[in-house]
Amino acid sequence: MSAAVNALGRVGIRPRLRRRELGLLVLVMVALTVGWASYVSFRDGHLELADTSALATYFVALLAIHALFVLSGRRMDEILFPTAALLAGISLIMMQRLPQDLVTQSVGGATLGLGQLQLFWILMGFAIMAAVAVLVRSDGWLRRYKYTWAAAGICLLLLVFVFGDVTGGARLTIHIGPISGQPSELLKVILVVFLAGYLAENRALLASASTRLGPLRLPPLPYLLPMLAMWGIALAIVIVQSDLGAALLYFLVFLALVYVATRRVSYVILGMGLFLAGGFVLYELVGRVQERIDIWINPWADAQGTGYQVIRALYAYGRGGILGTGIGAGLPQVGNVPSIPAIHTDFIFAGVAEELGMIGALAILGLYVVIAQRGFRIAALAIDDFRSLLATGLTLVIVVQAAIIAGGNLRVVPLTGITLPFVSYGGSSLLVNGAVIGLLLALSDRGVPPPVPGTHRGMRERIGRRARALGGRVESALS
Amino acid sequence: MDVFTLSLWALRLGFLVLVYAFFVFVARALWRDLRAGVSGAGRPLARLFVISAAEGRPEPGTSIPLDAVNSIGRDVNNSIVVDDSFVSAEHALLTFRGRAWYVEDRGSTNGTWLNGQRIEGLWPLGFGDEIQVGQVRMRLDRPPEVTS
Repeated sequence: MSAAVNALGRVGIRPRLRRRELGLLVLVMVALTVGWASYVSFRDGHLELADTSALATYFVALLAIHALFVLSGRRMDEILFPTAALLAGISLIMMQRLPQDLVTQSVGGATLGLGQLQLFWILMGFAIMAAVAVLVRSDGWLRRYKYTWAAAGICLLLLVFVFGDVTGGARLTIHIGPISGQPSELLKVILVVFLAGYLAENRALLASASTRLGPLRLPPLPYLLPMLAMWGIALAIVIVQSDLGAALLYFLVFLALVYVATRRVSYVILGMGLFLAGGFVLYELVGRVQERIDIWINPWADAQGTGYQVIRALYAYGRGGILGTGIGAGLPQVGNVPSIPAIHTDFIFAGVAEELGMIGALAILGLYVVIAQRGFRIAALAIDDFRSLLATGLTLVIVVQAAIIAGGNLRVVPLTGITLPFVSYGGSSLLVNGAVIGLLLALSDRGVPPPVPGTHRGMRERIGRRARALGGRVESALS
Repeated sequence: MDVFTLSLWALRLGFLVLVYAFFVFVARALWRDLRAGVSGAGRPLARLFVISAAEGRPEPGTSIPLDAVNSIGRDVNNSIVVDDSFVSAEHALLTFRGRAWYVEDRGSTNGTWLNGQRIEGLWPLGFGDEIQVGQVRMRLDRPPEVTS
């Protein structure tokens, strides 16, 4: 053993054991195996453990990533990865269990069903997570080019506005050749990177209030502009894309980050006021907003039409009860489709709540609480403002999204179509959320020094000096 | 109830129990993290005890926990804000370098005094030494002992 470690040390690899992570991963694998056995046994009518290839592939991938983390030798958080692994594992079982023809894609003659596609995307998402976690050593590329990031985000948004395809009434999918994706998932990360950079730089200015508006004390007006711009972008997303979920997510994460950066409740009150005002206007103007809110208030008004899925989800909670029907025993089909058509994407929480019961649904929510705790801990221990705000924002992106869609499923808030991170089916969502967890892991390794302040300005001065020298040479050549 | 139905129930509940076992393990890990945090990282390097302040701010008798770098002055952006009319906006700097504490005057109008002598430039100081800025006298104290 020690000889092997010495040999690794010679090639520059210093492994660091991660016992806690390994223990949790083993527990996750045992739990998922038992869950899978309960499904297969119910399906086939006798005790057995069959069709384990997807699960086995998943387990091998988890152990491989764990081994990679150990070999990388970074002091990263050991709880985030097993938590995401448990969420994705539950998703894998549910997707294998649902009718496979909900989503199909033919690749080179073979037709892949829902379960296989989800396995593929989970593995890709975790691969991105591992790559980001191991490779991202410096955050300079995120920190310095914040306006570039913002510009990229706005380009992405415009791209969707112009070329986006309409799925389920919302314009959010883009097709480039054979690849299709939902840029709004990527946009949320870009937004957080930009906001973290902007707020870390202007924090002191934003926190010192100088303008008074009634009982509210506000910062100098120019610094309010990004806030209004953000509000405008959220409204534009609602009007042009009819993507209520993304707009709500962006705005809530934005408000939370501003509050974290400045500790001023007045911003939150102002933001909420703007939000409510915008909401009222949109309710009158945009049919989709009105429809969603009407469904939320009374789904039975149009039980066979717009309110159908929401009502079916409510029935599912009733059937599930406290302990659930058991995996495989719930989710009745109407004709050939599940009674909730979007069960694999927007309504996966209702599906889990039916088959695993209230206990299982609470466990899912609890896993997001664990992610929140780890993420905020990473933020609290971060070396500087930028990293702290970045970690906060990345955590919020996952947790707030889970809260919005779980709340929508439960008819606590109006339903908006976004994914439940790591559980819903969907390539874009899994890839981006994998990258988010990867960034959080990279940020949790505090051995990486922050960039030396002023190097950026140094570069600017160097370029300026070169430009002046060039100008001087041109002048002397002319005279 | 036959054996199959019972074992199916056992598997179903077993899955839920194992998922909750995950929470128990995570909670244990969090508890250990918290314990480790209390005994180590959160402890200040030293404290600054306010002996007297002519204008009552900061209040005499209070004890301010110190980080590695502490700026003293009347401006709100200092880590230790001393709201006294004889204190400059950016008055002095109190730093922990390696193993020792140093105090440095930042070009204040009325000067920084160490044990009754006006200082210029960087001066080392130990626990129990007295710093005076404006009309405020403060003493560098050891950090509190950890009880747990």
